[in-house]
Amino acid sequence: MSAELSYMGVDLTRPRVAFFELSSCEGCQLQLLNKEASLLDFFNLLQVVQFREAMSEKDDTYDVAFVEGSVTRADEEERLKIIRKRAKILIAFGSCACFGGVNQLKNRFADQDWVKREVYGDFAIDTQPVRPLADIVEVDVNIYGCPVKKEEVERIVTDLVVGKTILYPKYPVCMDCKANENICLFDLGEPCLGPVTRAGCDAWCPNNRMGCWGCRGPAEAANVEQLKNIMAEHGFSSETLLDRLECFGGFSAFVDGLRQPQQDTGKQGSGI
Amino acid sequence: MIFKVIAKQELAKLFEALLANRVVGPVRKGSDKNGTPIYSFEVVYDFTQLQLDYTSTQYPAKRFFLPYTETLCTFEIAGDSWEKKVDFNIYQPQVLFGLHACDINALNKLDKVLLESAYPTPYYASKRKNMFIVGIDCEPQPYCFCRSMGTDTALHGFDMFLTDLGKKYFVEIQSAAAYNYLKHMQTSDPTEEDHLRYMAVEEARHEKFMAQVDTTDLTKILDMEFQSEVWKHWGDKCLSCGTCASVCPTCYCYGVAETVDLDLKHAAKMKHLHSCNLIDFAEVAGGHNFRPDSHTRLKYRYYHKHRGFVEAFEESLCVGCGRCGEACLANITVPEVIASVRHEEI
Amino acid sequence: MERLEFVDVLKEERPEAPRHDLGSFEYTYKAEITNVYPMTEQEKLYQIQIIDPEKRRGFTFRPGQFVMLEVPGIGEAPFSISSSPIRRGDIELCIRKVGNLTNFLAKVKRGTQVGISGPFGTCFPVEKMYGQNIILIAGGLGIAPLRSPTMTVLENRSRFGMVEVIYGAKRPSELLFTYLYDMWRKFDINLNIIVEEPDHTWDGPVGLITEILQERIGALRDVLEQETYAIVCGPPVMFTFVCNMLMAAGLPMHKMFVSLERRMHCGRGKCCRCNVGSTYTCLKGPVFDYWSVMNLKEAI
Repeated sequence: MSAELSYMGVDLTRPRVAFFELSSCEGCQLQLLNKEASLLDFFNLLQVVQFREAMSEKDDTYDVAFVEGSVTRADEEERLKIIRKRAKILIAFGSCACFGGVNQLKNRFADQDWVKREVYGDFAIDTQPVRPLADIVEVDVNIYGCPVKKEEVERIVTDLVVGKTILYPKYPVCMDCKANENICLFDLGEPCLGPVTRAGCDAWCPNNRMGCWGCRGPAEAANVEQLKNIMAEHGFSSETLLDRLECFGGFSAFVDGLRQPQQDTGKQGSGI
Repeated sequence: MIFKVIAKQELAKLFEALLANRVVGPVRKGSDKNGTPIYSFEVVYDFTQLQLDYTSTQYPAKRFFLPYTETLCTFEIAGDSWEKKVDFNIYQPQVLFGLHACDINALNKLDKVLLESAYPTPYYASKRKNMFIVGIDCEPQPYCFCRSMGTDTALHGFDMFLTDLGKKYFVEIQSAAAYNYLKHMQTSDPTEEDHLRYMAVEEARHEKFMAQVDTTDLTKILDMEFQSEVWKHWGDKCLSCGTCASVCPTCYCYGVAETVDLDLKHAAKMKHLHSCNLIDFAEVAGGHNFRPDSHTRLKYRYYHKHRGFVEAFEESLCVGCGRCGEACLANITVPEVIASVRHEEI
Repeated sequence: MERLEFVDVLKEERPEAPRHDLGSFEYTYKAEITNVYPMTEQEKLYQIQIIDPEKRRGFTFRPGQFVMLEVPGIGEAPFSISSSPIRRGDIELCIRKVGNLTNFLAKVKRGTQVGISGPFGTCFPVEKMYGQNIILIAGGLGIAPLRSPTMTVLENRSRFGMVEVIYGAKRPSELLFTYLYDMWRKFDINLNIIVEEPDHTWDGPVGLITEILQERIGALRDVLEQETYAIVCGPPVMFTFVCNMLMAAGLPMHKMFVSLERRMHCGRGKCCRCNVGSTYTCLKGPVFDYWSVMNLKEAI
């Protein structure tokens, strides 16, 4: 690690950073260790004091906390509150932390006890409805994506160190997708949430001919009402649209109005 | 202007001769769910790849002269000082083989604002000046309204233009560079019969246009209807996704973003094509947004293309290629929007 | 196979003779922040000098014009020049911390190199105002673009009749260029300052700028129709009110000038981000006469 950091003559501090995981696959943290070519420069910007996937040392004095995963247990809630107290900047890292992520799919079931029995059988386990970090503590920065995109993490970390405001694209994935001159997935007969999902992923899925599932949550002028018409016009059921909108939890505000209220038993939750 | 005719098989020889440069042309990229071919402009290496009878491409050839993302310059930072390196990002001439009249006219319109106005942009100029264009005539599609915009024929802005006369091509030559390439083919002077055939082909083509836009007094009508409710109707449909601008051969609006490299020793200034339909297009520092509503942004798009540009250059910034309407998932098309603003039945 | 000749656009003869050289688009002036003067909590005055002495001398601008200021990697944005044109490429910019670039600028030390391009845009036609009375009106940060024409008027004081400066701010602590007020008054400028929320340091008038304007209009009524020009800088709500009041008092629209503020990404009529209606603020503006502003869709 080189000595002090500075940019354009302005002295910068290398923030003390800790990485944490709540209920998650830890795949977002794994992304941090990818992109080897820039890995040394990336970690040179930070003073990592806790990172279970990469080191055994542990220190509880930190400025920035990257928290991956959603809150599903009482102990996680406590842990999160402690992290919040210690960190100056708390980063919701990945879609689970930002919106609940794939985990929150279980919230769709009306009968939570049934879910528990189905998944864990007789094994007693504490599991509550899934909540994103912002439901419990104040979140300073969101890093969207399932998983997060390393290039975006690098930019956000650099901006944080240099003191720039963290900015995200406000427009939808279509803009990134078109910049890559992809064939529109609707032309190929595939459903896609690209028109309403926040860009910044470089249209990762559509580039590979996979319709967008909305892991980055809604764009700032997301016209979900119109997307509903478009999906219907292309012959997709409202269930197909809902499956995607509900998958990562980012669109929860839009879903309530779309889902039919006649869900009686837990078993009818589809798409799982 | 010089006119020649060539037998169709001669064209491959021209292509071969031009291959010493980077050649871009229409190819079949795939098919949609109904099996309809999808064409796009790609770098081609073999004459057989070229689909010169293509309907139209989903995307214009814009990325070869106005890339979606372009590095304007890079910086090397040393303490509180720096060195700037500017690169126009073009290193060899490019041949655009098989552009339709609308796309050539699009370049002519871009020239007005990016090349011939105050502060010409060297990034565009260097690509435009190193471009060799072989135009080709086309079959009007149901969505083409270029005839309404006066862009159904290209009068200038190309090196060579081909019109299909059946067994041969009628060739219009507009540059010394193009004339120089004629020696690679067997050409002959057009006969009176060729002229008549050319005019018959053109006339038959004119009959085929279906979509149209009434541009009479359009600048004034747009001003009068600035508060019209129809904008809200279209605004409600609009996804604010920027697709119309991305597939538009004349949309040039952009945003600049500067980035610091991870090593804190380098930085870059990037240009990204933007779209006036995107929510943050008119946002200023501090967060105020001059066009927060979807319909105000959509309206602005029509104002820029069909009013502002006309005011500045006596012509519209639309070539009627219809790509935006075809690409728009919400089915917002230029002929329908303008008809509704004119209170016409749609 | 036959290669086409590669054209270097920077060396090429251009028969179409563009008004500005292609090379000036991105090869901006390298400049140095020679001094930083904190004026309030939010605003600092930056003295910026084009490093190359010849280019510095060759840098001429008119009051009301703006430059694009760039800090590599951080950003580039337009700023109205606050200094007098006679200082040429040794300019002063008054900058408020509101975004990425300006927050970073608030931290840089003197000696830092920045990029300057310009000057761009239209200006206040000060020469046209010779022999006339002139009212300069600023609300808030509007004093930044107003300071350059004020300096010009001051340096050419004999060529103008009465000179009024009317300046309104929210709080006394937000007043800018306070160190100049005495000098302006001594140079026979009638300076009127009003604040909305006074504190214990304030013993001047309290209220909105329109209140003090009303009072001054009363005093100037006889000269407004014939021999007076006005320059108005501030947020759209403010200049609309002010200009409408002046208009009602008889000042013709073409003798009132306002400066519009938009986010520009190029300053050169290319990026379209600053368009109002379908007019480029960077080319046709930022200074417009009030008649033009009234005719711009979306301006107000």
